[in-house]
Amino acid sequence: MTEFLETTVDKFIFRVATDRKYNDEGVWAQPAGERVRIGLSDFLQQRSGDVAFAEVRPEGTQVSFGEEVAVIETIKVTIGISSPLSGTVVEINPAMEDAPEVIDQDPYGAGWLALIEPSDWETDSKRLMDARSYFDLMKVEAEEEAKKL
Amino acid sequence: MNSHNHKNTRKVTIVPCSGIGKTYGTVSRLAAYEVVEDLRPDSAQLVPLSLLVLGDEDTRATLQGSQTVTIDGCKLACARKMVAECGGVVAQDFAVLDVYRRYKQFKPDGIAELNEGGQKLARALAEEVAQVVDRLNEDKGGQCG
Repeated sequence: MTEFLETTVDKFIFRVATDRKYNDEGVWAQPAGERVRIGLSDFLQQRSGDVAFAEVRPEGTQVSFGEEVAVIETIKVTIGISSPLSGTVVEINPAMEDAPEVIDQDPYGAGWLALIEPSDWETDSKRLMDARSYFDLMKVEAEEEAKKL
Repeated sequence: MNSHNHKNTRKVTIVPCSGIGKTYGTVSRLAAYEVVEDLRPDSAQLVPLSLLVLGDEDTRATLQGSQTVTIDGCKLACARKMVAECGGVVAQDFAVLDVYRRYKQFKPDGIAELNEGGQKLARALAEEVAQVVDRLNEDKGGQCG
C-alpha cells in the first residue's frame, strides 16, 4: 500500500507518494516490472488546475530524459510534461482519452500517464529525486505559490 | 427595485458561477445570459449566485418553487452547492470544463472579454442549457412563464 508524505500550505494539502522517484518538475517514475510508469505529482496537478485534456505522445515514440512526453491542458495553462527517463512509450493510460480528470482525482494511481520501456533506467533513476527530496522541494515551491495568493 | 425581486417560480432558474476573473466563470455567466435573454427569455430566469451567498430572502424564496439549473466554472461547484444549501432543487448541473471537453475546438481565453472560442463555447453551453429548460418545462406539463 502506498504511503505518503503530506504537508498543508495555506488551505491546500499536498501529498507525495514515497514509493517512486521524481524529476524537479514533479513528474513521477515508478518501476512496474521491466517498464516504468510515469505520472504527475499531486502538487503539479493541483498547481496546474483542473485537467481538460491530456495528450501523451503515441505508443512507439522514443523519448529522451527531459524531453516532452505529454501535453496537459488545464483550465489555467497548457504545460509540457518532461519525461523522467529515456525510453519508448509502450502504453498510454486509456483514461487520458476519455476521462483525463482522473489525473486530478488520483494522480498517483488511476491517473498515471504512460508506461515507458526504459533504455537505461539505472542511469536515469540516479538523476531523479527520492520522495523526501522532492517533498522538500515541493514544499518550498508550494509556499512560494501561497505567497502569491 | 431590482429585477431579482420579480422572480417567477414557474420559470426554470439558472444560477451560474460567480467566479470573477476566471475564464470559465465568465463562460458560465455568458451562457446564462444567452439562455435568459436570447434563447429562452419566457421560460428561464437568472439568479445571481452572489445573492444566495448574501442570504437575500427573496432570491432564496425563488428557489423553493422553481426547478434550477446550475452552471459551474470549476470543480468546487459553488453554484450547485449553494443552491442545495438554500434548499433549492438542482435539476441539472453543468460544468464548463465538461462542456469544453465536448467542444475542444472552442478553447476559451480572456476574462473581461472572451475570445471567439470562449464565446462559441458559451453559445454551445447555452444551447445545452436551453434544451434542459425545455425538458423541465415539458415535465411540468408545458406551463412556463
